[in-house]
Amino acid sequence: MISSVLGVVTLAYLLAGLLFLVAAFSPSPRCRSLAGGFLWAGLAGQTLAILGRWTQSYLGALGPGPSPALLEKIRLVVHQAPLSNFYESLVFFSWCVPFLGLVAFRPYLQNYLGILVAWLACLLLAYASLGVDSAIRPLMPALKSNWLLVHVVTCFLGYAAFGLGFGAGALYLWQGRRFRSRLPDLPLLDRLIYQTTTVGFLFLTLGILTGAVWAETAWGRYWSWDPKETWSLITWFIYATLLHARLVKGWQGRRTAWLAVAGFLAVLFTYFGVSFLLPGLHSYLT
Amino acid sequence: MSASDSPPTLLASLWELLTSIRFTIFLLLALALESIIGTLRYQGIYYTPWFLAPVMALTLNLLACLVKGLPRAMRRVLQPFTGEQALALPERGRFAWPAGADPRPMVAAALRQELGRPRQGQLDGREIYLYERGRLRPLGPYVVHLALLLILLGALIGKYWGVEGSLMLLRGETATDFQNIQTGKPQPLGFQVRLDNFQVQYYQDGRTPREFRSDLTLLRPGEKPETAVCRVNDPVTFGRFTLYQASYGRSILLQVKNGENTQVLEAPVGRTMQIPGRESRVKVLEVEENLQMPMQTEMRALGPAAKIAYLGGSGHAQVIWVLKNYPQMVERQPGPDRFTLLNLSPDYFSVFQVKRDPGVWWVYSGFILLLPGFFLAFCRLPQRWAVVLQQGKKGQWEGRLLGAGPRARESFAAHQERLLARLDPGANP
Repeated sequence: MISSVLGVVTLAYLLAGLLFLVAAFSPSPRCRSLAGGFLWAGLAGQTLAILGRWTQSYLGALGPGPSPALLEKIRLVVHQAPLSNFYESLVFFSWCVPFLGLVAFRPYLQNYLGILVAWLACLLLAYASLGVDSAIRPLMPALKSNWLLVHVVTCFLGYAAFGLGFGAGALYLWQGRRFRSRLPDLPLLDRLIYQTTTVGFLFLTLGILTGAVWAETAWGRYWSWDPKETWSLITWFIYATLLHARLVKGWQGRRTAWLAVAGFLAVLFTYFGVSFLLPGLHSYLT
Repeated sequence: MSASDSPPTLLASLWELLTSIRFTIFLLLALALESIIGTLRYQGIYYTPWFLAPVMALTLNLLACLVKGLPRAMRRVLQPFTGEQALALPERGRFAWPAGADPRPMVAAALRQELGRPRQGQLDGREIYLYERGRLRPLGPYVVHLALLLILLGALIGKYWGVEGSLMLLRGETATDFQNIQTGKPQPLGFQVRLDNFQVQYYQDGRTPREFRSDLTLLRPGEKPETAVCRVNDPVTFGRFTLYQASYGRSILLQVKNGENTQVLEAPVGRTMQIPGRESRVKVLEVEENLQMPMQTEMRALGPAAKIAYLGGSGHAQVIWVLKNYPQMVERQPGPDRFTLLNLSPDYFSVFQVKRDPGVWWVYSGFILLLPGFFLAFCRLPQRWAVVLQQGKKGQWEGRLLGAGPRARESFAAHQERLLARLDPGANP
């Protein structure tokens, strides 16, 4: 049931992207609003699917026994948030992209940026559905923590914002070379790079902090130089560089665009590369 | 150049370097690069001078920027937004009201609805409405940098005054000290800890642990004993240390025979144990529920078995398989201690991380300070607005909208559009 809903959502994102593409070449505003509608519908469907999986996973953890006290139930609800393995994190990642696009960066969401948001979400969701084991697994003891929810949510909101920044950066660099007219203009892309970086940096910092507090209660160490931790710090260094270069040195344009691209490559390595190539404390993901 | 005037220039150029943004960017990228090396090639890089030196330099860089910039930021924050300054802001719109109409209540209301409660004043016969947002913004970066310094300070305190180690307890066992990781030697806890019970619960698949918990009794000399439950994500703090449930393992029951002397030993898998009353030591290397051995043409199941390393009198370790179903094989063991496997799966032992870190609260206070810092730096970008009203000769009012918000261009433009609509004399009845 949930997987077929997600299948429809994937299609909705694909269509939204196509419509944004058509809208880029057609003067009529209807195409664009239709694209926005598909994006909203996809987001709504995906939200329902995530909530559905949450309920499933909660009921599974509750089991058939006698019903526990309210406080215990709330604890269980928080712990069973569908954010505890690679599949669930991918689905949430893909949810964050249109969510941020529609909520925080709505004025920018047209033409190529709309395509970017819709197809990035589509790609992540398609990968989750086709390439990753989607079974609900019981939680290992280390993951049973109230910090799980806030840690994962902040990290992936950050990743998604960096994803949008990467898109804006890539468009900026591409813009410098080829057909100029249909792409968003350079100052707009430049502002978007800065704004997405700000949002992403805020969330990434919160993600690292919540992770550190969690690690302190779980293992007695707020920092262990685990590969995932280290790579998130590397990412943080790159975006800190971007912000300093921009705010203090007044860097703009191509140079910040390159940093936004490099930063997102570090994000991708933090998320995928570390999970598959470097074993560590976060290796339950695979 | 004489020797007497070179120190100030050296100091000055050092200060120049420490407060420069190029240096910061260089250090950030260098640390990023070294961290990459650390995760891919050389795990221990974080504890070498190659890594610690740039960290220290970054700390000094942060400190220097704080010292250099904070007073200036403070001055800017403390400077009030006055009517004179308002008049110097760029003009964003002009209005004229017909004679007899008093726009003042409408202007105040429009500003309040669009931005927030304005301040009102008079200057040279003009009515001025002032609104300022994000006045504290210049402090934001300094609050963030102060927070980072607190975190680094906390890490430093933890490194030099913190203690870390591990403790392994069998059920019913009492310990008064733990293994210090840095020194590799036992260190007193300052209290007694006894493992009363250890439980592992599994999920239905029978393999994935759902929860493991240690029931502890903690006792300081001369005080009443306390009980506590230690779980993953739920540590126990007692005396000067905190115990974290880290992992667990199995132990086996071995009978050790030496001549006429027989004793039973509970041996945890993976831990070297001294045989009580003897010089020799033993370590259980692995355990098999049902050992499979190739025998001539077929595989034979030999039953429960344990592979142990025995360090007897001879000085070097010997590896021995001990089979529960073949006790007669004991005669083939080298001795002088000979082992029989009594039981394979009686009990687990519990492993704790033991820690004391006086730096954690510095780190946490840095974390908390980061939040208002980020809010100031990124969420409340400065905007200044003013509406200046002036009465003409015939008593009719004229007005100008002034404002600036160079860092908040989009929000500023949106406010401007709506303010112009609200203030437009034609739009109001």
